Amino acid sequence: MIFGLEFPPIQNLVEWPNWFGPEGSWYGFNKIAFINVIALVATTSLFFIAGRSKSLVPKGAKNLVESAVDFIRDGIVLETMGPEGIKYLPYLVSLFFFILITNIFEVIPFFHMPGNARMAGPAVLALLTWAYYIAVGIKHQGPKYFINAIAPAGVPKALLPLVIPIEFLSTFIVRPFSLAVRLFANMLAGHILLVTFSVLCITLFTASLLAIVLPLSFAMLVGLTGFEIMVAFLQAYIFTILAAVYIGSSMHAEH
Amino acid sequence: MLALVRVLAEAAATDVQQATETAAKNPILPTINEMFWAAVVFLLLWALMKFVLLPPITKLMAARADTVRGDLQAAEAAEAQRVSRLSDYEAGLAGARSEAIGIIEQARSEGDAERRVQITAADAEVATLRADAAAEIAAAKVRARAELTSSITDIAVGAAEAVVQKPIDRASQTALVEDYVSRSGSQN
Repeated sequence: MIFGLEFPPIQNLVEWPNWFGPEGSWYGFNKIAFINVIALVATTSLFFIAGRSKSLVPKGAKNLVESAVDFIRDGIVLETMGPEGIKYLPYLVSLFFFILITNIFEVIPFFHMPGNARMAGPAVLALLTWAYYIAVGIKHQGPKYFINAIAPAGVPKALLPLVIPIEFLSTFIVRPFSLAVRLFANMLAGHILLVTFSVLCITLFTASLLAIVLPLSFAMLVGLTGFEIMVAFLQAYIFTILAAVYIGSSMHAEH
Repeated sequence: MLALVRVLAEAAATDVQQATETAAKNPILPTINEMFWAAVVFLLLWALMKFVLLPPITKLMAARADTVRGDLQAAEAAEAQRVSRLSDYEAGLAGARSEAIGIIEQARSEGDAERRVQITAADAEVATLRADAAAEIAAAKVRARAELTSSITDIAVGAAEAVVQKPIDRASQTALVEDYVSRSGSQN
């Protein structure tokens, strides 16, 4: 209770009961799982509609999809991996669209919950990316990938005892952790901010004296909603470009 | 002593249970069911993207890029052809211009020569006409003088015959009138 205003505990903001399946079960289906499924259906539908049109001049959904694919291919893949990285485009496009759509549910009415404000989604994506770039490293460099990753060429031998633990932690521990936490923390923070200002608006609407600050709170809520749309896109971009950088760094020993 | 141990053990068990429940409800930690669904959905999306969704899009984008590249090359070829044709046209135009200047110069010189010939012929014709006219004028003058002389003679003889009331010799008077007319003509 702050200034007579009651805010819900954080568990109430992010934890959702199962719609089916017992609580604590591995297959329990809740709001977050539903958002993930919608992200799959929305992405599939968008690409299906875009792929159906054979016109060389894109418009509508096709224009949107092609712009996004073009952006990921030219702005991320070619920039970080070069033409060799084009074969990883499906994974990166999937990452971008999945994260963007699950994030955007932050501002969609009746949902108001980004799928990545729960640690599960970011953790799964980070673990998959971690496994993927290790697999790419082994595919391109063989078992020497692990040695090349933790002992970069050109480092003086005297520094290796210092560099090897740092590189090991950086490449195999910190990367997936930072990927997951960055996405999760940004979306959770945005979600808490929006909930805070929403609750504030609702409470001030009924308060007598404090109602004079309601317009300010509402303006803040509208501004933050726009900001969260930008954050949703930005986090999808950051996760995708970092995944591309990690995969690209696994392709060649000199990286 | 045993009771004390039992109480401590129960307290410890309660603490562990509370800690476990707190950990289980920690909103930051991932839950297994959400991880399961996220993994299933994302892997499905990845597979669909790789084999079904993305290929038609990239294929169409490549076709468009090929079309644009082809059109650009065609436009560049057309531009090169246009430049070549323009230079040919300009070269032809320069040749035609010098040829036209030559033709104009030749025509001008031919025209001048023709004009000179025509002027000479016209001058000759004018001289002929002038000579003919002068001859005609002289003949007319002679005729007029003869007629005038005859008329004056007739009048003078008639007037004199009327004054003297007798015929006068016309032939002798004619010489006088002719002399008078000649002198009068020379005075004019």
